[in-house]
Amino acid sequence: MLSRDIQALAFADFDIDGAVRDTCASMQGHTRSTFLRRTVAAGVTALGGVAVWPSAASAAEARSDVAILNFALALEYLQASFYTEAERIGALHGALKQQADVVGAHERAHVKAFRELLGSKAIKEPRFNFHGVTESPDTFRSTAVAFEDLAVAAYKGQAPLIKSRSYLAGAIAIHSVEARHAAWIRRLAGFLPAPKAFDEPLDAHRVVEIVNSTHFVTLRDPQTSSRTRPRFTG
Amino acid sequence: MRSRDLGNSFVPLTDAAQERHNLPGWLSRASLLKRAMAGCGALAGGAVGATQLAASPVARRSAATDHAILRYALVIERLQAAFYAQALRTAHLTGETHQFAKVVGQEEQAHVKFLEAALGSAAGKSPGFRFGDAVTDPAKFLTAAISLEETGLGVYNGQAVNLTPETLADAARIVSVEARHAAWARALAGELPAPVPVDRPVSVSRAKQTFGRFISA
Amino acid sequence: MRHRRHRREAGVVRGAVALDKLAVLVTGFAVTFAAVALLSPRLLASGSVVRHQLAAATSFSGTPPAQLPSALDIQRVVPLSDPTGATRWAPVLRATTARSRPTVRSATVGPLPARTPDGTTNIVVADGEATARGTQWVHVRLALLPNDTQGWVPRNALGGWSFVETRLVISRARLTATLFRAGHVIFRAPVGVGARGTPTPAGTFYVRDRLTGFTNPMYGPLAFGTNARSPTLTDWPGGGVVGIHGTDQPNLIPGRISHGCVRLTNTSIVRLGKLMPIGTPVVIQ
Repeated sequence: MLSRDIQALAFADFDIDGAVRDTCASMQGHTRSTFLRRTVAAGVTALGGVAVWPSAASAAEARSDVAILNFALALEYLQASFYTEAERIGALHGALKQQADVVGAHERAHVKAFRELLGSKAIKEPRFNFHGVTESPDTFRSTAVAFEDLAVAAYKGQAPLIKSRSYLAGAIAIHSVEARHAAWIRRLAGFLPAPKAFDEPLDAHRVVEIVNSTHFVTLRDPQTSSRTRPRFTG
Repeated sequence: MRSRDLGNSFVPLTDAAQERHNLPGWLSRASLLKRAMAGCGALAGGAVGATQLAASPVARRSAATDHAILRYALVIERLQAAFYAQALRTAHLTGETHQFAKVVGQEEQAHVKFLEAALGSAAGKSPGFRFGDAVTDPAKFLTAAISLEETGLGVYNGQAVNLTPETLADAARIVSVEARHAAWARALAGELPAPVPVDRPVSVSRAKQTFGRFISA
Repeated sequence: MRHRRHRREAGVVRGAVALDKLAVLVTGFAVTFAAVALLSPRLLASGSVVRHQLAAATSFSGTPPAQLPSALDIQRVVPLSDPTGATRWAPVLRATTARSRPTVRSATVGPLPARTPDGTTNIVVADGEATARGTQWVHVRLALLPNDTQGWVPRNALGGWSFVETRLVISRARLTATLFRAGHVIFRAPVGVGARGTPTPAGTFYVRDRLTGFTNPMYGPLAFGTNARSPTLTDWPGGGVVGIHGTDQPNLIPGRISHGCVRLTNTSIVRLGKLMPIGTPVVIQ
């Protein structure tokens, strides 16, 4: 079994149907380039005026502790939803299922903790479309490896920017848990749990770019409510 | 100092290791939770908790504090590096455990080099270590590895908040690797790699009880 | 690195006296040197000041760690309750064709439009998946006659999954609606169902949209659309969709009086509206 060290956290490596991304982008009424321009202009990607996802530009400028915590919360929402969906769909078995169930519980606990810390300032949970990666063990596995390595790098990038020592203690305590998650899933994927002696940080801008490239974050809720007159049989 | 890709190939998991994960007991929720709650407490000595987190005056960050913390970190890294090097010589490790000792030992050695370079002449010489049967008996090796990695990680997590931001950025590059080591060792021992959702810091006084018995000088 | 500028100058030593591996920190140049000379003649003889530096490191007592925010002092981790018992639904992102098997070469079952007759985003409930030739397919329930028609659609025609733990059971025999969440009853109400010539169909369906703010009192203040279709009123505008809604004739409830829809009193439908999300399965017995 070969050990392939995932050096670049590029989601392009993963088994996501490129046609899906193009389809979704056109369904949402804009091409990929206008999509990015809109998020940058908006500052924070908004849904109905409520902040749901940090844009790359605003993330780069985020310096306040609240902004950093919200950035962490955004990543925890992503991970928690990913693992929860995998658990609910039930395509995993054995050791991989155990990892998803336990780590999912951890990520949900992280979400709950950050929401409690942020109170009314917490960003709302976005809607996600994981484009099928939660629905088969192979795609789940490789996506989970990327997510966990990404989370480690993201926390590592933010830690030196946090002003409150108490929040910093929290970030550090979660950062090492994400590293454990990363080692865990890497091993299940046949990779070295600790591929390098030093893990590198990623700045917020880069993290958001990577996440945006997956198109996992959906910006439009399906319009399942309406004020039209019913035409049911009655 | 940039890390270099160690380029090791991964030894395939043995069937026994896979089977362990398939045992019904592992998958029952009760056992998962029990292990999750028991794991961290057991390894960190059980005394971690409210006393460690009690309100206490937080140290002012300074280069001097950084220095003191890094010097202690160097002791830990030297201890770990020596442990793995010795075990590779005398514990007759096989399979993935051997790979673990080799890869982790190389990484601890890289950490030693990094900290020595950072501390310059203040790095001093390493003390002597004695590991007893932890470096001759494979099962005891693994137990000791978990203890050393968890305690080292706990010390880093506890002290990191008191580092200046620049030093914190450097230390953080090491800390997550220590966490990976701890998780790997636990997985090899059939434990949950991540027993709790938030890692607890370990006080230095607590750590000394763990490390002290290995330091001979 | 910043701490290189604070390299120890030659001769300045933080001495330590080792006592059974516990170290006591002693600062001060002269005192230190004297103490070392007194208690460790061996060290002095070896001239190894450097080893004291290491002993000093092990004498480190640590700075007090900052307190974790109490929200992160997590005592219990709660697993999902009944994770595979939830129902999943997804919006239809692009119109597609449902097939009898997960391959484009199998028979067509029928169309899956992106919009409902109400103009809302169409959704489907899924209960299976398959990967064939590298393409993912999903097994879904359709809004086609005969009722309970199911088929396979490509995964990439659908959006992201939502999960609901609720379940509505309509008993045509007892004329009741019961809403369950995670197995517990959270709502009960009497209902009107289809009259003899225009029955409410039996089967497993799902709530696919929610209409409100309209001005037809026949449906009350709130109406839910489902993927169920009247088996008799096939020419009805919009295809004879069976809905769940309020009424301007509450005196007829309970009863077998409708054209196929499930009718609740307006008070009940408003209450149900607070408890039943889109995608909730509707089991009509």
